[in-house]
Amino acid sequence: MNIATPQTLSVKRGQTAQQKLQISLRSGFHVNSDKPRDEFLIPIKLTWTSGPLQTKQISYPKPEDVKVGDDTLSVFTGKFTIDTEFLAPPQAQAGIATMQGKLRYQACDSRSCKRPATVAVQVPVSIQ
Amino acid sequence: MNLLKTGALLLSATLLLLYSCSDTDPVHVKGVAKQNGSLKTAPEFTLKDANGSAVKLSDYRGKVVLLNFWATWCGPCKIEIPWFMEFEQQYKNQGFEVLGIAMDDDGWAAVKPYIAEHKMNYRVVLGDDAVANLYGGIDSLPTTFVINREGKVVDTHVGLIGKDDYISEIKSLLNDTNKDAVLSNSGSPAAALLSLGAIR
Repeated sequence: MNIATPQTLSVKRGQTAQQKLQISLRSGFHVNSDKPRDEFLIPIKLTWTSGPLQTKQISYPKPEDVKVGDDTLSVFTGKFTIDTEFLAPPQAQAGIATMQGKLRYQACDSRSCKRPATVAVQVPVSIQ
Repeated sequence: MNLLKTGALLLSATLLLLYSCSDTDPVHVKGVAKQNGSLKTAPEFTLKDANGSAVKLSDYRGKVVLLNFWATWCGPCKIEIPWFMEFEQQYKNQGFEVLGIAMDDDGWAAVKPYIAEHKMNYRVVLGDDAVANLYGGIDSLPTTFVINREGKVVDTHVGLIGKDDYISEIKSLLNDTNKDAVLSNSGSPAAALLSLGAIR
């Protein structure tokens, strides 16, 4: 999995801004969507852990169906984005800061799976 | 000079072959750790099963073993499990066993319900990074080691392979070791021939 380095997100105090986390997977691989059908499968999950902005909503793309054995899996493949709507609180301090998060996922191809992984995500933010 | 050219050509061909293998191809290593002409002994470990009983690999010495690293979140592993259940049932009386090593970070909380839901009939122990490292790191699941009655690793399969491939390997090892058992029990080649004659 490759996560493109996020650009600086500019947001005015009291307003919201959209951040798009751009992810790409190697050909042949998939990750489970945020809502896998099988309870034992590990969903992809983006969590924002610290920073000056409030997380209003995290939106995942529409998943694809992939058949593995007798199961039809709900997955993401290729290039996709996870969108986060951030709110800069009115009392937030103006300036440059960083939103810290983590992305947990589990990737497979048709014949094997990689062990679950969690990667750190950082988004520079400019609060005006 | 010709020898050098031949060597360079062989090396190029090997590199080209390795490069052309895609990420999705399963990896099969025959006699994975064959060192100095002999197969490597499967590393010993002690892990606990669902009942909390300690299970040592050496407990299986004398049997053909499929040592399968898997996890509940692994789709290709789920495809193999019914095959392994079938093998366990079919070949157990001939000295064969499947031993599953579950690599779930959530431990028995995830694995026990899965075993119950899938009615798994072979023993499963809970793995950890230490045992994974003993077996080369286990980067992908399923990874299965085929172990002979002497406790040696005969084959390693990273990724899903065909059911028939496993059947061939199991049958071959059970047959080989049955022959070996006749020879070793007899004490000498002459006695072995006599005992083969007696079987007829």
